[in-house]
Amino acid sequence: MAREVSESCMDSLLTEIVSSYCNVLYAAKPELAARRIEAIGYQVGHQLSERYTMERPRFSDHLEAIKFICKDFWSELFKKQIDNLKTNHRGTFVLQDDKFAWLSRMSGEPSTETRGSAQEAGNKAAETTGMHLYFPCGIIRGALSNLGIPCAVSADISNLPACSFVIRIKV
Amino acid sequence: MQFFGGSEISPSPPLPTASGNNAHMMYIFNRNGVCLLYREWNRPLRTLDSNQDHKLMFGLLFSLKSLTAKMDPSSAEKGNLGVPQLPGQGCSFHSFRTNTYKLSFMESPSGIKIILVTHPKASDLRESLKYIYNLYVEYVVKNPLYTPGTPIRSELFNTTLDQYVRGLG
Repeated sequence: MAREVSESCMDSLLTEIVSSYCNVLYAAKPELAARRIEAIGYQVGHQLSERYTMERPRFSDHLEAIKFICKDFWSELFKKQIDNLKTNHRGTFVLQDDKFAWLSRMSGEPSTETRGSAQEAGNKAAETTGMHLYFPCGIIRGALSNLGIPCAVSADISNLPACSFVIRIKV
Repeated sequence: MQFFGGSEISPSPPLPTASGNNAHMMYIFNRNGVCLLYREWNRPLRTLDSNQDHKLMFGLLFSLKSLTAKMDPSSAEKGNLGVPQLPGQGCSFHSFRTNTYKLSFMESPSGIKIILVTHPKASDLRESLKYIYNLYVEYVVKNPLYTPGTPIRSELFNTTLDQYVRGLG
């Protein structure tokens, strides 16, 4: 018997978390804000992976665990799977989501307007977009560490709305 | 010169072709009168500069809403004028038509006013305005980069809006 929350509420809450941490709580220290947001994500990922792996046996190796993240875990969170998984077979995995749900509505200045301040506005948008990705990175890191795989997760937003998460497993 | 009689004395504008945009222009205001968005697809005549134009439009609609509510013959009580009402409650005007254009209007309970100016043969656009309001909620309100109360600068919103308006009948 699961309790449900409206998706709009979740989206608004996440927007507000990033905005509060970046503009109010740690206004002068974006790295600290990023670390706090990632820590929240870590806790969430930890608990979610506990819940979603309740009926399953232990994962046989790292690849199986990553595949679980790409398929079942991502479907539970975003109702879709990761679109592309790449690995170098030496502990680095790249998960690519072609239309990441939490970034799908972010949109900056239309290209035809504003000339001078376009650069500055574009940078601010990129910064804020980056901030929004610390939470999902934390979720992935928390989920994997609960499965016994300590790792470091970073995000890459070279082409929106697609975004890639790079997982580096610590050996 | 004839004032009455005769069906269409002055020439009506050419009906938009299938390939052109179906609307002339659109305004979105918030409850404080800030013009959040002004999109123009086809506007040959421009009489005022944009600031005055926006103020005129906002003032016009405010007065029209007030007037139509006051002249309502069916309701006995005088509602709280100036306050946005739930759709269906109170008396709300939704469009006016001249021989050259039709202006359709919708106000949400949060005070967001959407105004769409189209050619005069357009049908009732209330459903379309509701759809545009939904687009606003999806791409503007839920955009983390948007600050409420400021003009809308979202590429996604503009593109989706243009696409939708092009398909209006």
